[in-house]
Formats: sequence, C-alpha cells, structure tokens
Amino acid sequence: MKKREALKVLHEPLFIVAIIALLSYFVYYSSRQIPNSALHQVLAAGFGTIYFLSIFFGPLFIYTTKYVQGDPLGKRILASCAIPFIWVTKDVYVLMESHPFLECLYWYFNPLTIWMLCLLAIELGLGTLLGRILLKRRGQAIRVISLIPIVAILIGTATFAGIYAWGQGENLFSLYLHGYRLLFGSGI
Amino acid sequence: MSDHPMTTSKSKRSILNQGCNRRDALKLFGITLASGLSTLVLSRIKKSRNDGSDGSLFRHTSSYASNQEISNQSHSNRYDRSPDKRPNIIFILGDNHNYRTMGCAGHPFIHTPGMDQIAQEGILFENTFSPTPLCSPSRASFLTGAYAHKHGVKNNHTPWTGQMTTFLEYLNLNGYATAFIGKWHMPGEGLPEMPFLDRFISYTYREGQGAYFNCPMIVDGKEVPSRKAYITEEITDYAIEFIQENSAHDNAERPPFCLYLAHRPGHPPFQAPDEISGMYDEVNVEEVLPDLVDPWWYGKANRNVFQGVMMGSYYNQYRKYCETLSAMDRDILRILNLVEQEGLRENTVIIYMGDNGMQWGTHDCHGIREPYEDSIRLPFIIRAPWLISDPGTKRAQMALNIDIAPTLLDMAGIPIPRDMDGESLVPILTNPNPQGRDSFLLEFWRYFPENTPSYTGIRTERYKYVKFERGREPWLFDIQEDLKEDTNLFDSEIGKQILPELKSALEAQYLLSL
Repeated sequence: MKKREALKVLHEPLFIVAIIALLSYFVYYSSRQIPNSALHQVLAAGFGTIYFLSIFFGPLFIYTTKYVQGDPLGKRILASCAIPFIWVTKDVYVLMESHPFLECLYWYFNPLTIWMLCLLAIELGLGTLLGRILLKRRGQAIRVISLIPIVAILIGTATFAGIYAWGQGENLFSLYLHGYRLLFGSGI
Repeated sequence: MSDHPMTTSKSKRSILNQGCNRRDALKLFGITLASGLSTLVLSRIKKSRNDGSDGSLFRHTSSYASNQEISNQSHSNRYDRSPDKRPNIIFILGDNHNYRTMGCAGHPFIHTPGMDQIAQEGILFENTFSPTPLCSPSRASFLTGAYAHKHGVKNNHTPWTGQMTTFLEYLNLNGYATAFIGKWHMPGEGLPEMPFLDRFISYTYREGQGAYFNCPMIVDGKEVPSRKAYITEEITDYAIEFIQENSAHDNAERPPFCLYLAHRPGHPPFQAPDEISGMYDEVNVEEVLPDLVDPWWYGKANRNVFQGVMMGSYYNQYRKYCETLSAMDRDILRILNLVEQEGLRENTVIIYMGDNGMQWGTHDCHGIREPYEDSIRLPFIIRAPWLISDPGTKRAQMALNIDIAPTLLDMAGIPIPRDMDGESLVPILTNPNPQGRDSFLLEFWRYFPENTPSYTGIRTERYKYVKFERGREPWLFDIQEDLKEDTNLFDSEIGKQILPELKSALEAQYLLSL
C-alpha cells in the first residue's frame, strides 16, 4: 500500500518537472569536469537547454496535467508557480552574499520576474485550453474556448510584447533600479 | 579638499566670468603658485612615507612622487609651455573594454586599426588599472584624478556631487576650449551644471547608458533627437564639429582645446551598425574564451544574476561585443584622420582608455566588478608626438585612471592640485625607464543588483590582497607567479608571512589619499 502511495508521486507533474530541472542543473554544471571538450559542449548545450525549458515552460506541463487530473484552480496555479518561484528564490539567496536581506527581497520584483509572470499567464491560459482539448478527446462534454483563458493569454502576450517593444526590457530595468534607489538610496 | 585654493569655485568662477584683468591675473598666479607648492609638499610627504622600505615586498624602493619632481624639471625643458604651444587634448573613453581586446594588444581577430595606429605612433601601457572597476566611480576618477572614496561616486547609484574640481575645469580656467561629448553616466537628476564646458553633449536615457541606435541627446542643456542612427557616429560628428570650430582660428589666436569623448561600446546589449554587424560571425571565438565556457555559459556564470536564463549563445555575445568595439574604432579613425587633415597632429595628445575591464568567462565570471585582473585592467594607449621619442613601444609601469587628470594638467603646464591622488605619467612617456608607482588601492562598494560584496584591497607590482565586507574569504594572489589568479595564498604559510606588510601598505595607501 505504502509502495503504491510512493509510486503515485511519479504521476505528480510538479515532481517530474522538479526532477528534470534538478538533473539537468547537475549535469549541466558537472559537464565541465569532463576532459573531452566536445562531450562537455554537447552535454552543456543539451542539459542547459533542458534546464531552461524546465524552469520557463515546465509550468505549462504542470498546469495542463493537473487540469486533466481534475485538481482545483488554486492547487493548479500554486503547483505551476513553484519551480519559477524556487528558481528566483535561489537567486535571492545567492544575492545575500553581497546585499542585506531586505534589498535581496526586492530582487523578487526584478524585470525578469515580470516577464516570467507574463509567460505564466500565457501558459496557464494555454494549459487550460490544452487540458480541455485532452478531456474532450477522452469523451467529456466540455467547451474548449472560454473567456478567462483567452484573456489571460492576451494580457500575458500584450504585456510581454509591450515590455519588449519598450526598449527590449532595458527601460523596465531602469525603472526597477529607480525603484531601488527610492527604497534604499545608493545602498551604502 | 575644500581648503585647496583651486577648489574654491567662487574664485574660479569670478576669474572665469570677469575676464582677465591685472588683479585676476595676479590672483590666478597666486592660486597657481599655491597649488604648485602644495603639490611639492605632498610629494615630499609621500616620498618620506615611501622611503625606508628596505626588505619590502615591492620591487621599487624609490617613490613615484620623486620621479614626478624630476619629471617636472626635465619636462619643462622638453617643450615650450607658452600658451600658444600648449597641446590640444583628445581623450577617448570606451566602455567595459577588456584590455586584451585590441589588435595592438595581440588579440587574434578583432579589427581595431584606429587604436592600433595610436599605439603604433605612441605608447601602449601594459599595466593600467581602475581602482574601482565600475562605470560611474571610474568615470568620476578620470575627471577628478581621485579615488572613489574621495570624489564620492562610490557606485552607479551614488550621485555625482561635483565636490571635486574636474581637470576640464582647470583646463578651462587656463584658457582651454573644453567639450564633454558622449556618455556621462553618473547618477543624479539629469546632467550636472558645468559652466566651464564650451560644449556639453550627452544623454540621460536609460540610467545614462544611452542606446546604440537613435539615442535622444542633450546638447548644451537642450533635448534634441539624434542626427545619426548609431551612437558612435552621432557623438563623433559632434566631436568633429568641435575640433573644426577650434581649428578654424588663425594659429596665433587659437586657444588649445580639450575634447573628452566617451563612447558606449562595449556595453551590453551589444549592437553594431549594419555594415559591421556579422563581421566576426565566422571567427572561432573558442580560442579566445576560457575552455570551460560553453554556449550556455551566460546563464551559468557564477555570481551572475539571471543564472540559468537563456540569453543567447555566449560565443555570439562575445562576437557582438567585438563588433561594437570595431564600430567605435571606425569613429576613432575618423578623429585621427581629422587631426591629420587639420594639421594638429604634432601638438595634439590623443588618448584611448576604457572605464573598466570586462571578464569574459575567466574565473567563472561575466562582468566588470570582481577584483580580478580582467576587470581592473584597462586598455590604455597614448600618442603625444612631442613627448614620445620611442613610438610603437610599450610601458610596463603601473598606471591608473586617476593618473589621467594630473597627466593632462602636467602636459598643459598647469600645476597638479594636491587633492588629486593620481600622478603625472609624463616622466614615463618621455623616458621608458623611470620607476612607476609600487602599489595602489582597490575599493568597491556593493552595487545592487550585482552580486559582488564591498571590498578594499591593495595591488602591488607583485601581490593583490582583497578583503571583502561579507560573504567571502579574503584573497591574496601572487600575480607575478600566478597571473591567472588560481591560487589564493591567504591561508598559506607564505600568505601569513606577507600579509602584515600588505595590510600596512593598504592602510598607508588609504591614509595618503585622505
């Protein structure tokens, strides 16, 4: 019984993405130990890409799977945001080598997080649509298109594109630094 | 600082505004005399502090200041300092320019004929440093000749206060036409008031970083759209106008000019004009970058924010970086050609430097602020035909960004104010043999969001000692034996033996610069 419960975790999409992210992280960072340069380059390129995909596109897989599994909305969203949140938290922790805790918390609001939130909105909308398509194929009477996921996709895309168009993110970064100075001055 | 007569801005402004009657001339003479005396006194203090270093870790036992005194004597004999023969000055500054990334520095593929020409007709300094490897503090050091703890611009968030006088103001007070054109990039509300500049052309766009294309400009206080699409062409056009305006006078009436021209390349995001973009696409950059760098490396860089972010191939980033430097070089060549055409070559000093270095993968770092050699070292080439008798050679003495202001004042025959920490490099330009400085301070104040703790340290000819405010063990490297800085000697037996003297030297250096 306990074994069956333990195996159930393998069907947990968050667990799967987390394992992929961790493995790719370790292979990517360890690949430099390999004396064969060609092999190092292949492993670094391959697992680096997987690492990136797991952080930034893992939420799409997690949300879609959880939608199909019938999890409630709150649980789906929390599970989808977990990996990106851990990733940003890791960076906040890294920054604590140099900066006080409060300033490091400000890193949570950096432009990349904003871009990532846009991407998450798009992925959550897409995940809903994909989940519905899968359920429909399984014979459920379900309407695929509805207002909320479409709005989420549109808002996410428009904000993402808007930030890009507005100086490819550089202007947003300037704004972010301005906010830092308002809160913390020069920091020294 | 404020006790120095030449830093009393009221007196300076009054001289500037009222024209040069006899009283003002006497006043200026008095100021000049006082400044000269104070320089002499300080150099003697420095000399006495540096003497008695028998058994020192430093190779040089004689002080740089004493060389300075010698230079002032020999220098006076080398060329006439009468006003009509004072040299024109063209100071060109690059951004984040790794000191090895010039053709004349032995880079395997970058195309920099302009820089190479300056080096060929002048001198390449092989050991040049920024004591604070970050844009704004370094830029303030160029202008003031002082360490960051003195001029006050400690990181890219700390405002420029104007608490120290810039060399441009001293030059203007002494009859120079002056222009600051290009990247100002020091924090504060807009651009500062600089009435001593005849032209002040810059930008505040994006934290003062500007943009490679269509950057809105501020020309003498007025916001104007860009006239040329690419930023180096844009500011070089203004520079050319300034030089031409000042060359148009008859020889007898022509005042000397000083042009401070600060470029944006090679600051990210690296963008080159169409005609240059792609010129290094076929180049094998793996030979230049460290072995451990891989295409994904940008995100992996240790102590780099955005770890794990796919920001494009690291190899391509490096190619684009080189492209921007080549784009800048193309415009440096335009300036060189103009100087030739206008017949200014023999009496114009041309300097090219970077504001700080750049680490491209060394020590697992990407950036400018870690106290590794790639970050603190600067490219530095200088052409001054009337001073340099051995063009095309190199100098091994240590030079700093804070040396530029006193060097230029020295060339212009203006006494070096005592609040400047730097030393004139004229003796080293005229003669390859003088001993240079034996050490300098390293100092850095944490700059959010970059992940480097505040640090202080000292770099001697042989050693580098750095202590961090938090988060890291101190560093102690034997640069002569371990140029790549792979072995931290801090906890070793050798380290324990040499550390006390380095700590004393650090303290002494700091006290000297107060």
